[in-house]
Amino acid sequence: MRRLFPLIVVVVGMAAVFSVFVDFANPLTGQRVETRLGLDLQGGTRVEYQLQAVGDRTPGPDAQRTIRDIIERRVNSTGVSEPLVQTQGFDRIVVELPGVSNADEIRQLIGTTGRLEFVPIPAGSPVPAQGTKVDPALPPLFSGEELASANVDFNTSDLGPGERAIAFVLKTEGARLFGDYTRDHVGENFAIVLDGTVISAPVIQSSIPDGRGRITGSFTPAEQVNLVTVLQFGALPFPLAEVSTQSIGATLGLDFLRKSVLAAAIGIGAVLVFMLVHYRLPGAVAVVALVYYIFVVLAIFRLIPVTLTLAGVAAFVLSVGMAVDANILIFERSKEELRSGKALYSAIEAGFNRAWNSIFDSNVSSLITATLLFVFGSSVIRGFALVLIIGVLTSMFTAITLSRTLLRWVVRRSMAWDHRLYGVAADEFTPLPKTGLRVREARSRV
Amino acid sequence: MFDIIGRRRWFYLLSALITIPGVLFILATPLTDGAAGLKFSIDYSGGTLWEIRFTDRAVTAAQVRAVLAAQGYPDSTVATTSNDYLLIRTEPIGLFSPPPSPSPSPTASGSPTASASGASPSPTASPSPSPSPSPSPSPSPSPTPVGGEVPTEGDLGRLATALQVELGKIESVRQQTTVGPVISAELIQQALVLIGVGSLGILLWITLRFRDFKMGVTAIAALVHDVVVVVGIFAILGTVAGVQVDALFVTAMLTVIGFSVHDTIVVYDRIRENRSRHAGEPFPLIVNHSILQTIGRSLNTSATVVMTLLALLLFGGEAIRYFVLALLIGIVSGTYSSIFNASALLVSWHEWEAGRKATRVAMARR
Repeated sequence: MRRLFPLIVVVVGMAAVFSVFVDFANPLTGQRVETRLGLDLQGGTRVEYQLQAVGDRTPGPDAQRTIRDIIERRVNSTGVSEPLVQTQGFDRIVVELPGVSNADEIRQLIGTTGRLEFVPIPAGSPVPAQGTKVDPALPPLFSGEELASANVDFNTSDLGPGERAIAFVLKTEGARLFGDYTRDHVGENFAIVLDGTVISAPVIQSSIPDGRGRITGSFTPAEQVNLVTVLQFGALPFPLAEVSTQSIGATLGLDFLRKSVLAAAIGIGAVLVFMLVHYRLPGAVAVVALVYYIFVVLAIFRLIPVTLTLAGVAAFVLSVGMAVDANILIFERSKEELRSGKALYSAIEAGFNRAWNSIFDSNVSSLITATLLFVFGSSVIRGFALVLIIGVLTSMFTAITLSRTLLRWVVRRSMAWDHRLYGVAADEFTPLPKTGLRVREARSRV
Repeated sequence: MFDIIGRRRWFYLLSALITIPGVLFILATPLTDGAAGLKFSIDYSGGTLWEIRFTDRAVTAAQVRAVLAAQGYPDSTVATTSNDYLLIRTEPIGLFSPPPSPSPSPTASGSPTASASGASPSPTASPSPSPSPSPSPSPSPSPTPVGGEVPTEGDLGRLATALQVELGKIESVRQQTTVGPVISAELIQQALVLIGVGSLGILLWITLRFRDFKMGVTAIAALVHDVVVVVGIFAILGTVAGVQVDALFVTAMLTVIGFSVHDTIVVYDRIRENRSRHAGEPFPLIVNHSILQTIGRSLNTSATVVMTLLALLLFGGEAIRYFVLALLIGIVSGTYSSIFNASALLVSWHEWEAGRKATRVAMARR
């Protein structure tokens, strides 16, 4: 295993550098490898929905997934680039629309339950106007499940100004019912109702046996397209309520991004300088390890991919501060071993072995809390936690592979046999193991 | 050799002096009904946050507040932020949602054909397999679905229109956030559970790794100290400067819990090592020695984290300023409590136990 470390280090390092600098398609997931920025860094809108129970029916995981899929199709039809629709918790759905700062229309589209009903208006009853609520006592003839397809009808020759039409085709059962009903009720009205509101209530001109019909009304083009979308992708099994919305302007996002990158650079730079000044040669090894660490973590961010939010950038910077901790513990311990009379190489080895317990235990504590945050947190918090988890795991990896391999290699060079490089006094420094008195003396001192 | 353990009562006193004012301010939160103590952001209290700028830069916060009050939002606050932007905070407005009561629609499950219309000759077709969901507000055809920066629809759209009528055009909207009351109630509960479970997890982990329940408990005591210090300082900041506690604050707390135990682990690891190496020496001496041996690395490991956090605090912008501040306070407090409290408590516990044992032995002899 030990012999393999240098190889692992080189392979992982090269893969990381490649992933950071080259955009390519991930062969496993097929997604593009790219740095993804959260809404708070690029601007956009985020809406969180809660599934509402209907009567004694409560939404389960299946309904949640179904609704997620329907919403995704609805959102995709609007042409927003790279929308993100995710389930969250037991009854939540989160929709993220990057670059969209006013999403009123899309929100209405998403929030529409989309329950289409064909309600016959009995002869003699008042004909409901477009946009009014239909009398709930009237039974629907059939509902949107009988709809086979819907599309924008461009044949507008027979329509009034501002009016638009949507053509639809019914499935067999619906077509039969529709045919029978229209045959028997020519001259009466028929209401097409979406979520309880009348969309249009045309007069039945003649029997419609083939199940083809159209909905006409004074829609804006956007409303027309939304309606087609809702009809095409079906009704949501449960209605949705918005529980929170957030939108951030693109300029504010850019401002956040610029500031956090600057802060990250300054913070990381300060840590690198501190390590060099305080720990000298081992410090230089730590700097190399840290740069390596940064590349590996960034590569993982791009490969998974992790969406970087403002909190995520903070977590990354924090993780750099934590990642050097392993090095500090190892170097301090090695220094102690040197002072106790151990020769350089075995002091470094002892430093790694003895410090490892503390490093491992500490990192597990961080993983415990970060995992809790990841499992139970909302999306912003999850982003932070994921970055922290990746950071902790990667830092343990770089500590045992790179820092160790590099330091072992360095301390074998005779150039490195100078006590000043390790911050210890000359008489505390033993570059090579000596046989005889000195070793015995050292042992007795331990 | 500096005697930390011998002076432990002084450090307990110092910790008490740091935490007690904070605890008083935390307790003031429920007692004064939020007037003093922790100030919760809309993440917890629910509400709408809306940052806008008028074309007329001279529009003042007071003017906006007057319009809001006239529109039925008397409890709103308006503050000036950078670049002439105004930050409006109100009760939650503009969430689209279906009506609260999912009233069972008449077609729910009975036989729809029983109704008077008698139009449909086919009784089986219309009762659709699932009861129809309650009627929800549909996208009622509204006149202006124009996509722009300023909302035009819903309650927020109405508010925007009212503001523009009174104060001129709204030039741009920087951000707009609305959190409904459902989320806020959940978050508070979740926060407490997470901090509790996180501490418990670490207690178990340390007890398991060190095979010493006392070490687990005293490490947690130090953690609780750190959490109280941070929350207390934020309660004080909330009272005097209106600093708010948001969803990220809990994240900061859990990160502090996970990180501040690092230094404690380093000291405990050394105590364990020294105990087997210098068996027979008095426990307080071993602990004191262990602390002094590791104090350098405890300070250095914290220093690197503090450096990164300071950079974020100074240059990272206002959006995460208080989040970073909470982390920073927690990590500094964590280093302090690891060095001066956790091991000291361990010694106190050992001595208390030894004292009890001695009395028991004395009693038995008598």
